[in-house]
Amino acid sequence: MSTAALLGPYHPDGTLAWTNGSPITCHRFLSEVATLVDRLPEKSTVINLAEDRYRFFVGLAAALVRGQTTLLPPGRAPKVLTQIVEDYDDSYCLIDGQAGVAGLPSVHILSAYGSSEEGQHVVPQIPTNHTAVVAFTSGSTGTPRPNPKTWGSLVAVARHTGARLGLTPTENVTVVATVPHQHMFGLETSLLLPTQFGLPFHTGRPLYPEDVRSTLGSVPPRRILVTTPLHIKACVTERTRLPGIEFILSATAPLPMALAQQAETLFDTKVYEVYGFAEAGSVATRRTVAGDIWQLLDRVSLSKESDHYSLRADYLPEPVPFPDHISLKGSRAFVLHGRNADLVNIAGHRGSLGDLNQKLNEIEGVRDGVFLFPEKDEDPVTRLMAFVVAPGKSADQILGDLRTVIDPVFLPRPLYLVPNLPRNETGKLTRESLLELARQLRCEDHRDI
Amino acid sequence: MALTDALPIETEVAKLIVQTLNLKIDPAQIQPEQPLFGEGLGLDSIDALELSLAISQSYGYQIRSDDPEIVATFASLRSLCKSIEKNRTK
Repeated sequence: MSTAALLGPYHPDGTLAWTNGSPITCHRFLSEVATLVDRLPEKSTVINLAEDRYRFFVGLAAALVRGQTTLLPPGRAPKVLTQIVEDYDDSYCLIDGQAGVAGLPSVHILSAYGSSEEGQHVVPQIPTNHTAVVAFTSGSTGTPRPNPKTWGSLVAVARHTGARLGLTPTENVTVVATVPHQHMFGLETSLLLPTQFGLPFHTGRPLYPEDVRSTLGSVPPRRILVTTPLHIKACVTERTRLPGIEFILSATAPLPMALAQQAETLFDTKVYEVYGFAEAGSVATRRTVAGDIWQLLDRVSLSKESDHYSLRADYLPEPVPFPDHISLKGSRAFVLHGRNADLVNIAGHRGSLGDLNQKLNEIEGVRDGVFLFPEKDEDPVTRLMAFVVAPGKSADQILGDLRTVIDPVFLPRPLYLVPNLPRNETGKLTRESLLELARQLRCEDHRDI
Repeated sequence: MALTDALPIETEVAKLIVQTLNLKIDPAQIQPEQPLFGEGLGLDSIDALELSLAISQSYGYQIRSDDPEIVATFASLRSLCKSIEKNRTK
C-alpha cells in the first residue's frame, strides 16, 4: 500500500503553527492529534466546522489517521448542509466553538488541547488512495456536486505548487493566509503547502488591511501571504505598510495586471497567481506581471477533445474537463479566454447559473426568475443580479428564502421585481436581452434617487 | 420613507453603504438600529472589507479586527457611525 506522510520534514520542536504570537510545536500538534484520534466516533465522514486554522488541521489530521473523510460544504446555508448530511448520513461534526449541524453528533476539537506531551510521536503515514476530503461545488442539477480528493492528490498538488514557487523543505518561511481553509484553494495553500514542506503557518485569517499588516508582523521573517485580489486591492488602496514578504500568492479570481504591478512595487515583493478548480485542485501558476501565460504544474497535462480541453495528472483518477475557454501555448502553458457561460465565480466561490436559477424558481410564489452575471466592471468582486416575477412577494421575502438555499455570496445585488422576463418567441432568455433590461432598470433607479 | 430620528452622519454613511455595496435600497430605509450583517441587511465579510475601504477613504478611519469594539462597531448603522465619529481623521 502506497502511503504519504501527514507532515513534511519538521523538527519535533520546530514550529508548525503560530497563534497569538506563540509557536505551536510539531510535537504538540502530534500529541493533540493522537488524543483527538481516540475521541472520534466510529463514523465514515466528518464535517469540520472549525474556524481556527490550526484546530481545523488537528481535526483533519485526526480524521485522516482514523481513515475518515472530511466533507467541505460550499457554505453554511442550512439547506445545503442538510442536503449533504442526507447524502452522507454516517457523519458527525467537528467544532471549535460554533454550533454544529442540526441532527449530527458534535465533537469539540478543544477537548484534545493540553494533551500530555510526554513520549515520542511518530508522524502518521496516510494511504495515498484514501479519500481525504470531499469538496462540494454547486452542480447544474441543483444538488451540491461532490469532488473527492485522495490524500495522494492533495500531497502531490501541494508539493508541485511549492516546488514551482521555489519552496524547499529546509527554509524557514511562514505562511499567512486571508483565505478560508474550508475552501479547496485555502486548504491547499494555507495548510497543505506549508505542512508538506515542514513550514509554519499562521492560524488566523486576517480580513482588513490593518489585520494583514499586524498578522504578518506577528510572525518572524520570512513570510508568504496567501490571499485574493480583493485583499490585495484593499492593501494597495490603503497603502498599508506590510512587513517584508517573500511573495504574495493570489487566487480565487483573476488579478488585474496593474494591481499586481502596484503590489509588487509597494510591498517590494513578487506576486504569483494560482489557477485551479474544484475538480482538479491547483493546476497552473503565473507571475502576474510577466504576462497572461499560465504554466502548468509538473505532472499535469492538457489534451484537446472535440469541443474542450481535458486535464490529466497521474494523481487524478480520470481526465477532468477544463472549465474555462483556453488556448494552448506549447504543451505546458495556456492563455485563459473566459468562462463557460454557465459557471460563475464570485470571490472564489464557483457556482452554476443553472443551479441558482433552479433554486430561485423553486421558491414558493416565484413565477419566473433568472440570475445574471453583469458586465464586469473594475471591481475585483462583481455580484450577481436577478430578475424575478413574483406577484405578491417582496424582494426582501425572496432574498430571505434564497438565503436558506444558496451560498450568501451568490445572493443577487440587486434583485429586481419585474412584471415579466424578456423571453423571446421560443421562450429563451438571451444574455443580451437581460443586460438591456439591467440597463433600463438602472436608469430608473437613478431617476428615483 | 425618510426617518426623522436619523442623525446627519447616519444619513451620510447609509448613502455610502448603499453606493459602495450596490444595494438596491433607498439609504433612508436602513434603520439605524437594524443589524448590518447576517439576518439584517445581510452583508458578508466581502462587504465588510469593501465597506472598511470606503470608510477609510472617506473618514480616514482604519477598521481592524483586533479592535475590542469591532463587533459592536459593525452591529448597526448607528454603532458604526459612533465609531466613525470617535476615530475619524478627516
